[in-house]
Amino acid sequence: MSTLHILTHSPFADSRLASCLRLLSADDGLLLCGDAVYALQNGTRTCEALELMPSSIGLYALQEDVQARALQVPERVQCIDYPQFVALTLQHAKVNSWL
Amino acid sequence: MTELLVDGRRIALDQDGYLCELTDWAPAVAMALAQAEGLSLTPAHWAVLDALREFYAEFQLSPATRPLVKYIALKLGPETGNSACLNQLFKGTPAKLAAKLAGLPKPTNCI
Amino acid sequence: MAQSLLLISRQAPWSGPGAREALDIALAGGAFDLPLALLFLDDGVFQLRKDQQAVLLQQKDLAANLQALPLFGVEELYACQRSLVERGLVADQLGLPVSVLDDDALRALLGRFDQVMTI
Repeated sequence: MSTLHILTHSPFADSRLASCLRLLSADDGLLLCGDAVYALQNGTRTCEALELMPSSIGLYALQEDVQARALQVPERVQCIDYPQFVALTLQHAKVNSWL
Repeated sequence: MTELLVDGRRIALDQDGYLCELTDWAPAVAMALAQAEGLSLTPAHWAVLDALREFYAEFQLSPATRPLVKYIALKLGPETGNSACLNQLFKGTPAKLAAKLAGLPKPTNCI
Repeated sequence: MAQSLLLISRQAPWSGPGAREALDIALAGGAFDLPLALLFLDDGVFQLRKDQQAVLLQQKDLAANLQALPLFGVEELYACQRSLVERGLVADQLGLPVSVLDDDALRALLGRFDQVMTI
């Protein structure tokens, strides 16, 4: 039962991302929205940790949140729009939003 | 807001008829509230009300129906602690009415 | 059969409405016979500390409310071992009978439920 984890908070302000990374299973997906895309900031530990995730884990970021913040994302990340966001939620058995 | 007059004391009630101040409760208040509901309290009622006040003292909340039945069964035995008996004692809405008479807040999570 | 729900409560008791909201969902779900479990993660484990005095902060006694979970039919209670250790909490400081799980067990737990909600 794969889970799509959705994060919306900056990883520099709290522990959601760190905890989420520990709870990810091999076939889960991770979608970064809002301030959570700051996790992809080049040269940071969080970005490094995300790049080192097993390739079986899907890593996604919401395109408009990335662009709005002038971020350049590593190749490991798949940038998606809202229709793809919806499709992604359907590809997983459940969604865990880290409110 | 309405008021209940008990032994010359004015007791404030909320819009649903529950005590505004839980400390206003006294057996005479329970009897007056029961009377307003057309109910006269028997020892079986009092046993439930006492148990309910213990529940609140311990957990600081009013139980919904299922936990109420469970707790009463635990404290008073299965003869009283079943929904048929509690419904019969408290006009079919034991969680709401018993909480009201025991001076507890209105239970949330309760249909 | 109703869908099973794992609720993850990860906020400290008085930092905002999060802890209270998670508990209210658990109590409501339990009252309606929903198969659900509650996991305390990150600062959420601070909710488990016994001898807290909510009244000093003019708050409702969350710890007392938590004790009612089994009566509401919520008997699966878990805590993240790493979160407890990081925060220096040990077993005899906890006021609720929780099963303490390591990261592997947590991943298995998440996989076991139909729905997961993190607050």
